[in-house]
Amino acid sequence: MADAATHDHGHEDTRSFFTRWFMSTNHKDIGILYLFTAGIVGFIAVAFSVYMRLELMEPGVQYMCMEGASLRAQEECTPNGHIWNVLVTAHGILMMFFVLIPALFGGFGNYFMPLHIGAPDMAFPRLNNLSYWLFVAGSALAVASVLAPGGNGQMGSGVGWVLYPPLSTREAGFSLDLAIFAVHVSGASSILGAINIITTFLNMRAPGMTLFKVPLFAWSVFITAWMILLALPVLAGAITMLLTDRNFGTTFFDPAGGGDPVLYQHILWFFGHPEVYIIILPGFGIISHIIATFSRKPVFGYLPMVWAMIAIAALGFIVWAHHMYTVGMSLTQQTYFMLATMTIAVPTGIKIFSWIATMWKGSVSFETPMLWAFGFLFLFTVGGVTGIVLSQAPIDRIYHDTYYVVAHFHYVMSLGAVFALFAGIYYWMGKMSGRQYPEWAGKLHFWMMFIGANITFFPQHFLGRQGMPRRYIDYPEAYALWNYISSIGAFISFASFLFFIGIVFYTLRYGARVTEKNYWNEHADTLEWTLPSPPPEHTFEQLPKREDWDKQPAH
Amino acid sequence: MPAYWTVTPQAPGNTPGAFVLARQDGAEYHLSLTPNLSMGPVGFARVILISAGFLALPLIGVLGTPVLWGLLPFAGLALWALWYALMRNSRERMALREDLRLTRERIEITRTNPRAPPQTWDANPYWVRLCLTEKGALVENYLTLEGSGRTVELGSFLSPEERATLYDDLSRALRHLR
Repeated sequence: MADAATHDHGHEDTRSFFTRWFMSTNHKDIGILYLFTAGIVGFIAVAFSVYMRLELMEPGVQYMCMEGASLRAQEECTPNGHIWNVLVTAHGILMMFFVLIPALFGGFGNYFMPLHIGAPDMAFPRLNNLSYWLFVAGSALAVASVLAPGGNGQMGSGVGWVLYPPLSTREAGFSLDLAIFAVHVSGASSILGAINIITTFLNMRAPGMTLFKVPLFAWSVFITAWMILLALPVLAGAITMLLTDRNFGTTFFDPAGGGDPVLYQHILWFFGHPEVYIIILPGFGIISHIIATFSRKPVFGYLPMVWAMIAIAALGFIVWAHHMYTVGMSLTQQTYFMLATMTIAVPTGIKIFSWIATMWKGSVSFETPMLWAFGFLFLFTVGGVTGIVLSQAPIDRIYHDTYYVVAHFHYVMSLGAVFALFAGIYYWMGKMSGRQYPEWAGKLHFWMMFIGANITFFPQHFLGRQGMPRRYIDYPEAYALWNYISSIGAFISFASFLFFIGIVFYTLRYGARVTEKNYWNEHADTLEWTLPSPPPEHTFEQLPKREDWDKQPAH
Repeated sequence: MPAYWTVTPQAPGNTPGAFVLARQDGAEYHLSLTPNLSMGPVGFARVILISAGFLALPLIGVLGTPVLWGLLPFAGLALWALWYALMRNSRERMALREDLRLTRERIEITRTNPRAPPQTWDANPYWVRLCLTEKGALVENYLTLEGSGRTVELGSFLSPEERATLYDDLSRALRHLR
């Protein structure tokens, strides 16, 4: 029988640096690892995009030359489209699989989901460690694929992140095989992480915390996990068949052997559309908490907020073919996908209006996280509205593969998801590190990024309407003006990103110490705010008290 | 609360351990304590059904093409992995439990541990001291029993409120049998 202990035998953290960060099974440490690794990979992917904007700044090709790529404009330049294609592909693959999912789902999901439900850790801590290292291995493979021998006798493969056959099955070299392995490994990492999160969420909620009392962020991570579990196996299957088509002579997607390349597109987008919700849903969760905190009101319509996320997730699985209106589907099919796509605007609208209703008659103050949340709300809505435009099959005929689409998905991803990510970072930085960033710096970062990103992407709507196609290294004179402005915006955004890196390092070393448990206000009412900042190594080994979390009037 | 009382024969009154003056020579209390598990078997079945349904969605679309055989293993693997993870986690959490048997002559506690041999303690209930330390102990509302020269803890994996309820129930049961 367990003998009674009269006093606590302290839980001092005696782990060495190596043990703590390389063999970690602690959900909080793994969350931080995810955030930093995603940040590093994000820097690579951002650098690629800035280099692409540099090339697009002026008509003609000045930087990506057969004579060699450089950062200085070259006099003698034979355009090297392969480098361009490789950068487009790598930017897409890295951002989709190795930056946004790991940061929002892996980072914040790992760190805060167990805290929100009052669980001591994830259900399978060692599996969690495996997920993280698989993600690292996948990132390494993805970067290696850029440097490995590929098509056109050069390094890397430039087939686009969607890896459509026959382009992908005919690309020479083994670079594309490495890219496929990278996606495999990151997919395995995400699926294991998702199973871990689903199990934790279902089995380990604090006593009395029924499903509809769980905080919105934990809900959003749970729904995301479910989408990953259901969508990523499909992608894994699809790219495995690409792999065998490439290397073992199968003809799954080769018409010469009875295969169907369009079927690949269907399968890819069956994964690909849920993927964009996988990226954005944790952002929805973060934004809900931030808006409630800084409006000093409980979130408006908790239950509709949860059901809207469930509805978005469910609808996300049945709208995939709106990415491929131009492949020759029947009118009926196109009509269905059009209507189904527009239906998603309903739950999304419920969320947007509930956030606005949360602020309504609230006592709103504009600390840095709230600024980012505001930016998210506005920019995500802009991206959503152009999404409705693109959902129209006839209009999509005009806009398909133009910069209008580029502007649309960057408004929801680069401005939506990334703003939610920064909002979360500023909201929780003091909690995670025990030090607070300088408020002016966070605000300056926001305004630089907000202005820069809008200057980058808003003119791309105009370019798309003028008919500029995406994925090209060069363009005619007529598109010069807006491309020039867009590139200026990209440089401003990049500067803001560099500034952000400075903020993070300044905060971690010299930031003001956080002494309070809850340094915002009483409307930051989830369980992490009952813990010290930073939280100790072990949290909620004893179940939390009900009055610590059960505060929502909606319960 | 994951604490289940069974009393044989049924003690007078509707709550187990209700205070009665009459001696209940044959009365025997059983109490099992398990950690909180927020999902039951019905929830598990729902989770698996919904997952299987959505995983089947793309498979139905590719029925009759060779691509089905490329997708099926991955879909099956994902479903199996979810099933296994949920089952294994429930099993591991339920591997920790405490059983208490209380008669007029004897009080016995058996603690089943997930990765260690079971621990037992027994004493004469007449001399047992039940104690609830509200603050300052290992956990809030620390519940201990003292007897046979040892002090043992009970229900340290429950929530503080649950331990308080347990203290009331258990002291009533002890009083009943004295």
